[in-house]
Amino acid sequence: MENIGLIAFLIPASPLLAFFIILLFTRHSKLASDIVAMVAILFTWVLAGILLYLALTTPHLGEEPLTAGLVWLPLGDAVTDSLRMGVLVDPLGAVMLFFVPLTATMIFIYSTGYMASGSYWTEVTGEGDHDAVDTAGRKLKKFDATAWKARFMAFIALFAGAMLILSLADNLLLLFVGWEIMGLCSYLLIGFWHNRVYANQPKRITPMLAGIKAFMTTRVGDMPMLVGIAWLYSFTGTLNFREILYNPEVLEGLNVLAFPNVPALAGVTVAGAIGILLFMGAIGKSAQFPLHTWLPDAMEGPTPVSAMIHAATMVSAGVYMIIRMFPLMSAGWDGHALTLPMQVMASVGAFTALFAATIAVAQCDVKKVLAYSTISQLGYMVAAVGIGAYVAAAFHLMTHAIFKALLFMGSGSIIHAVEHGEEHAHHHGHHFPIDFDAQDMFNMGGLWKRIPVTAWTFLIGGLALSGFPFVTAGFWSKDEILADAFAHNPTVFWVLAAAAFLTAFYTMRQIGLTFAGEPRTHAAEEATQTDWRMNLPLVVLAFFAVFAGYVGVHEGFPVLGKLLGGNFFHHFVGSTLLKEPEALAFSWAPVLLSIGIALSGLLIGWLVYVRRPLQAEDEDPLKKVLGPIYTLLENKYYFDELYDLIFVRPSKWVSEQIVYLLLDKQIIDGFLHFVARFFEWLAFRNKDFDTYVVNGLGDSVAEGIGKTSDSFKYVQSGRIQQYMAIAIAGVLMLVGVFVWALFLR
Amino acid sequence: MIPLHWYLLVAAGMFALGVYGVLARRNMVAIIMSIELMLNAVNINLVAFWRYMAPENLNGQAFAIFVFTVAAAEAAVGLALIISIYRARETVVAKEIDMLKW
Amino acid sequence: MDFVRQNLLTLITFVPLAGSLVVLFLPSRSKSLIRWTTLLISLIPLGLAVQAWVWFNADPCHDLVAGACFEQQATWFPLLNSTYHVGIDGISLTMVLLTTLLTPLAIIISWSVDDRVKLYMALFLMLEMGMLGVFVSLDLLIFFVFWEIGLVPMYFLINIWGSANRQYASFKFFIYTMAGSLGLLLSIQLIGLTMGTFDLRELMVRWPALTGKLIGIDVNVIKNVAFWLFTLAFAIKVPVWPFHTWLPDAHTEAPTAGSMILAGVLLKLGAYGFLRLVLPFFPQQAHDFAPVLAVLAMLAIVFGALSAFAQTDFKRLVAYSSINHMGFVVLAIAAAGWVGLGAQYEPQSRLNAIIAVNGAVLQMFNHGLSAAAMFALVGMIYERAHTRDLTRLGGLWPVAPIYGGILLFSSMASLGLPGLNGFVSEFLVVRGVWPVGQVDQNGTSVFVLMVALSMVGLLFTGAYILKAVRHVLHGPLNREAVEMAHGRSLEINAREVIAMAPLLVLMLVIGVFPSWLVEVINQTVTKLWS
Repeated sequence: MENIGLIAFLIPASPLLAFFIILLFTRHSKLASDIVAMVAILFTWVLAGILLYLALTTPHLGEEPLTAGLVWLPLGDAVTDSLRMGVLVDPLGAVMLFFVPLTATMIFIYSTGYMASGSYWTEVTGEGDHDAVDTAGRKLKKFDATAWKARFMAFIALFAGAMLILSLADNLLLLFVGWEIMGLCSYLLIGFWHNRVYANQPKRITPMLAGIKAFMTTRVGDMPMLVGIAWLYSFTGTLNFREILYNPEVLEGLNVLAFPNVPALAGVTVAGAIGILLFMGAIGKSAQFPLHTWLPDAMEGPTPVSAMIHAATMVSAGVYMIIRMFPLMSAGWDGHALTLPMQVMASVGAFTALFAATIAVAQCDVKKVLAYSTISQLGYMVAAVGIGAYVAAAFHLMTHAIFKALLFMGSGSIIHAVEHGEEHAHHHGHHFPIDFDAQDMFNMGGLWKRIPVTAWTFLIGGLALSGFPFVTAGFWSKDEILADAFAHNPTVFWVLAAAAFLTAFYTMRQIGLTFAGEPRTHAAEEATQTDWRMNLPLVVLAFFAVFAGYVGVHEGFPVLGKLLGGNFFHHFVGSTLLKEPEALAFSWAPVLLSIGIALSGLLIGWLVYVRRPLQAEDEDPLKKVLGPIYTLLENKYYFDELYDLIFVRPSKWVSEQIVYLLLDKQIIDGFLHFVARFFEWLAFRNKDFDTYVVNGLGDSVAEGIGKTSDSFKYVQSGRIQQYMAIAIAGVLMLVGVFVWALFLR
Repeated sequence: MIPLHWYLLVAAGMFALGVYGVLARRNMVAIIMSIELMLNAVNINLVAFWRYMAPENLNGQAFAIFVFTVAAAEAAVGLALIISIYRARETVVAKEIDMLKW
Repeated sequence: MDFVRQNLLTLITFVPLAGSLVVLFLPSRSKSLIRWTTLLISLIPLGLAVQAWVWFNADPCHDLVAGACFEQQATWFPLLNSTYHVGIDGISLTMVLLTTLLTPLAIIISWSVDDRVKLYMALFLMLEMGMLGVFVSLDLLIFFVFWEIGLVPMYFLINIWGSANRQYASFKFFIYTMAGSLGLLLSIQLIGLTMGTFDLRELMVRWPALTGKLIGIDVNVIKNVAFWLFTLAFAIKVPVWPFHTWLPDAHTEAPTAGSMILAGVLLKLGAYGFLRLVLPFFPQQAHDFAPVLAVLAMLAIVFGALSAFAQTDFKRLVAYSSINHMGFVVLAIAAAGWVGLGAQYEPQSRLNAIIAVNGAVLQMFNHGLSAAAMFALVGMIYERAHTRDLTRLGGLWPVAPIYGGILLFSSMASLGLPGLNGFVSEFLVVRGVWPVGQVDQNGTSVFVLMVALSMVGLLFTGAYILKAVRHVLHGPLNREAVEMAHGRSLEINAREVIAMAPLLVLMLVIGVFPSWLVEVINQTVTKLWS
């Protein structure tokens, strides 16, 4: 198919072009920018649909994927040495091609509604004019926000373009390109309200710093990843996925010892080492422990950004990458003993899943709960890849992207509604404390009747997240992971099961706190949300959150398994691998366990938060139960403080005090100045030598002659007659001498 | 014939007079006149030696003529100098004209 | 056209000199005339360089020894057997293109210079001549002459038009570089007089092959000494840690356009010297001392980034970033030296060296673009807000959106964001250097270690770039900066946008589709290692 290249090229190119068009031409018009972005993403969606159709209708897509490419970097003297870039649509890529444009389009539609135009206030510092002063005494200045909001559309277009590059890439370098551009976008978008300052909450991170934190934290992972890419490239001579991952010889070749001479790393294979390096990138990008801290703070960005980062794009990218690199990670895996990268992934993933779920339990910010739930769910996927559940991980990646986008946009709707409510209530004479937080779930309650569309879709998303049996997509994908873990790795299973229980619980807690009972504030009482552009995506995604799971129901599942055509997803995605992974035999135990866990979690949550809804001023019932642990969880185990103490401050101190001031300024420059001063000293000594010795000698000769002659000058009296007398006396003397000499002698 | 040493004695006397005049006179004009006296004493010597020692050559006479010329020029320049010194300093006393020193 | 083709390099090099004489005869009061004349004159070498690029691509000559492009030779100093010999291959062509491109842009940026415009412009053109001369010369003595000529105008540019601490900075710059060149001159004399010629092409073949004794000393000892003298001179220019401290001072104090050229081209002279002279002349020494050079390069990368991170002066921060970026060039050169030029090698290590040097040359070009852009941007804000102190700026994006966009774009290129130019070259360097130690029989993995440690530097590259962007563009608007502009808008004007546009376009083009440039470099590098 010759048009594959063109179609695949246009898919990311169209949002990227929109990015440039908006920034260069339409940035002064919000409407035009919206139109440009929407046209671009719809065009992309249509093309992606065509490409997806082509991919699905290609028989044996796994063996003969759709590809196209060109020489990107001519290196060396042979064409084989050159670096090629291209696109690849294999079954795994097709999955990405399904949900990435879908969620991206929904997010675009949502954004046009969320970012209504107008002006905004920014704080200013220093002396000078300002338009207003707020209650906290901050000086504010009014700016026209049109350009900002147009810019927002441009950034998410770039974001979508980067994710599409990543999804379509046929090699690791192009994947990395999309990967990093997304990093930039997340930085720009998280810090979108970069001049927002929380004067009353000094401990709260500002959007500006949150953006930097996101960029830097993920970069910590990206650097090893870059090395891993370079290593892989130099070892195999290529970065093409197919050439490495679909090639038993290369995989076999990678399975050799990496550091035979280093005793500490004796057992590590090249594949293992590269796998670990690449996984570090995923740790950063997919916010796994210990690089998870950036993601909750990324909630400082506008809500569509959170959806973009969490669902459709950035965090999925990390998981996608390790799923994609699974053959490398598992090189040498015989189905029993896990390889080193797999062990690492299984432990990191499982630990993160549970760890983040515990934090989510004690959060009161509606988006932060979702943020930690995302970390936890990503941990699931990583653990799934770690234990070799390749298809299950891809499946959960897809379903999670959909329902998490739904949840985030739902939470955005909630916040939007509460903010509107705050404004209305303000007009009606109600006053709010300065630090009124429209994202705090304890300021909500009773929203069910106010924003029914949001409430229903949020409920669907929440149930999908908790794995409510049979009717949600989340159940099927999560169940598959749990079943796999149950069969292969009981430890991982029990950790994940505990996380699943907590997930169900905090989801119900969130729903209860937000929607159930009576409004706890005037803002919640008057909350409204009617913009169709924000409701439509919720409905669409809710649809998929229910039905997307049915593509991957286990063949052996009673009734449904047969009805739905025998696990299409497993066979389809499984064919990406060289050897299609065998489907596990169906077993009731894990299914019943996971159903029981999900339902019990939901039930407890329902009992605590929905049956007896909280009243205004009520404390979280958990606080009484958990005591100090609640504070620990609320503060996220103090990881931010810890990192600040052991990484951020020392690096600042070292760079300023040691490297710059001590090394550069004192030692190196000090040495230079010492040399300079030494030569200056030498030069002055040299000058002294010249003055006193060289000049002194010359001068003293001249002076001596001068002085001597000085004493003779008095002979010259100026009296002519004296001269004459002396002359005559002289002559007489001469005569005398002559006479004596000639005659008298 | 008058012997040579008579001429020489006269010339020596004249020369001694001239030397005395140059050393002892205060007036510069007198000093110049004394110099002339010395020159003429030499002239006498020159002519006398020519006549008695080598009459076949004209050496002595030629020298004498040179000396005349020089004497005349010297007198002219000397007197002119004295006049201009007198104009500038209103004196012709040799002792007082002693600027020509260190 | 024939005339142009035959004298192409001479024209490229000496048109600026002629131009500087022309400028000197213009009336000094008509500043605008002087500016326009200078700009137009500086466009001539650019046009010629582009023409050279076209001709070169049509009929490439990648092997210097076999015959360089646009070669020209004339008697110059017969007593020493030194000739005026010029010619280029792919590496020098890239550098010539960079130089001729940056000079007009720097001149456009210099429009705001109002003091002694005539002298300024004349010096600028002279500077261009010096730099171009180094890149085109094929004779050691000529090389050295041009090398030194470039110093003089730069000294005056810093000394006269610099900022507060310019006396110290220009003196340090001049003396430091001179100190480095002394050894270079000595070694050049030594090589030239021993071999009886200064011709680069001949020396490349004969000098490395020289064995036996020279003035009673083993020739290898002499080569070692000469290697270090060469290396010292170039290391100061690049600069390699710990010879770098002149750079932050000089860059910070120089006028904006001066910094652009200093960072954009002058630093490349050092790296170019390594590639053109050190590697071909001293293959054995380059191999023996490669680990030392690699360690220094790594330190430049890491300490450069850390020092940049420690700065509060915007311009100084950008200056330190140059050390950080040029470290990658030196790292690649060290690795290439380890593999050895002309020595026996396996095909795999040869490819590594080729990729590393490709990366190095591309990095030189890329750094030229991004550093020039960054310095120009610093200059623009300094001109308006009259401060470079990061703590006194802040929140300027809303008031200067175009400036903000361009600054973000350039800083991302500098940070090495994939999709922009810096990434391509940094990736190539990392890819080329990483396996160099591994495939060697000695089992030395110093390069692996150096690359791994350099990643720390790359991490901090992100940190300091974000720090700069944050303090300039983001956060609450700092009224102080607006106040100091005295009513003048902080937004940049059309002239400045025009000066930036070519840089930005090239950054994007090279980032997205680098093969047109890499092709030319790669062919030459491949020939060097054949």
